[in-house]
Amino acid sequence: MTAEEVIDLVESRGAKEAAKEVDVVTTGTFGAMCSSGAFLNFGHSEPPIKMQKVWLNGVPAYTGVAAVDAYIGATELKEEDNMHYGGAHVIEDLISGEVLSLKATSYGTDCYPRREIETSITLDMMNQAYLFNPRNAYQNYAVATNSTDRILFTYMGKLLPNYGNATFSSAGQLSPLMNDPKCRTIGIGTRIFLGGGVGYVSWEGTQFSTTAPVKNGVPTRPSRSIAVIGDLKKMSTEYIRALTLHGYGISLAVGLGVPIPILDEEMMESVAIRDEDIFAPVFDYSVQSRSRKVLTEVSYAELRSGHIELFGKDVKTSSLSSYYKARQIANELKKSIEKGTFLLSEPVQALPSEKSSKPLEIRSKEGVKI
Amino acid sequence: MTKRKFLMSFTPSIVNEPITFRMVKDFDLMLNILRAGVDERGGKLVIEIEGKPSQIKKGVGYLESSGVEVKELNEYVSKDEDRCTSCGACISICPAEAFEMLKETYKVEFHKDRCIACGLCIDVCSPNAMKLEIW
Repeated sequence: MTAEEVIDLVESRGAKEAAKEVDVVTTGTFGAMCSSGAFLNFGHSEPPIKMQKVWLNGVPAYTGVAAVDAYIGATELKEEDNMHYGGAHVIEDLISGEVLSLKATSYGTDCYPRREIETSITLDMMNQAYLFNPRNAYQNYAVATNSTDRILFTYMGKLLPNYGNATFSSAGQLSPLMNDPKCRTIGIGTRIFLGGGVGYVSWEGTQFSTTAPVKNGVPTRPSRSIAVIGDLKKMSTEYIRALTLHGYGISLAVGLGVPIPILDEEMMESVAIRDEDIFAPVFDYSVQSRSRKVLTEVSYAELRSGHIELFGKDVKTSSLSSYYKARQIANELKKSIEKGTFLLSEPVQALPSEKSSKPLEIRSKEGVKI
Repeated sequence: MTKRKFLMSFTPSIVNEPITFRMVKDFDLMLNILRAGVDERGGKLVIEIEGKPSQIKKGVGYLESSGVEVKELNEYVSKDEDRCTSCGACISICPAEAFEMLKETYKVEFHKDRCIACGLCIDVCSPNAMKLEIW
């Protein structure tokens, strides 16, 4: 069953009975995940080159690794393009089979004499191409609004003046880490649905944190996250989509789903979490600080209703992640498990049970106490 | 009574004609100007016309015979269903409530008839599914 379907079952039969009937519950999410990118290996040219700088369709990729390896970050911008095209578009174009221009320069060495190359390449022609996303599937997220009298363009979308709207970004009751809030079953090595293909949890996500206040078993702030890896060649543009966040930059919408084995009654209770019981903090994004005050907390059921109340005012809400796609992913994963084409894996290592996310201070070398 | 939205284009030669006045007086129509602009090609007006269907037809006929180019507006705003991910970012932005998150399927539906072609949804759509070609 999906994490949405199981809610009614647990409500009518109770977690104990439901746990006997259901083995696996599938989850899904589809939203902007900036912390994404792909490792690519282009193969060696004749004569060979040690790529020092590389561009794909004019978008720089990081190549400070071996000669023809590169990492294309989703948010990297095409040079002189004013934020219309970026790394995410390169990734989407590769998946859709388009021919991309590849340009690289170098200083030339005895073993790699070539100093520049300009060629065309497709995903099929590459040796390896895999997504490696340092922070995906955030456990809960913020709700953004704007107190000022001007429009704000943020990674949470366009925020209208005077609390004109509020945006949020989570699949809520379908979101993977909301359904296994303590990561009892999700750990390093967990096989997942990633971008339409198969992927794996490779590490804890960056900024992984377990310190947020908890309500109904679920953290009420952005908390845990996962680093994931998966073969780009097996992915589909149905579940990987380039996004342009006007006035902010480029991001990548990633479709991700995690199967959760129902180990016991407690696990069953966790996956039966409902939007009504999951709360997110509302922040004023006009405050240009890392520590914004929480204005209030609202449930995902309220957010999904289309409006919330803020300071006595009715404020329209918009989701930035697609619940429609999240549902599609959970259903697709369910079908593959039923057919036996997707096998569940046990984690080889649990994610940290306690961890906090540290800020960055401006300090002198002398000011650092070791 | 029905409401329809049109884009009217004037050449510089008929800019002096009081056509909105004639539309109200002669055809008993209610006009709501949604957008107006004049550039080197003449003037453009996005207008909502409310009235009896037969009167709207006559009014539009009058405009066309006066040399005004008239096109129904909903041809100018479009949603690319393949690009749309049904996230819903457009919903809280649209002043005309032309977008609806369907309750059962969570698919975003675009109601062309409610659209006033303001363009607010264009840059808010991150997968670039919304297109507006007016001016």
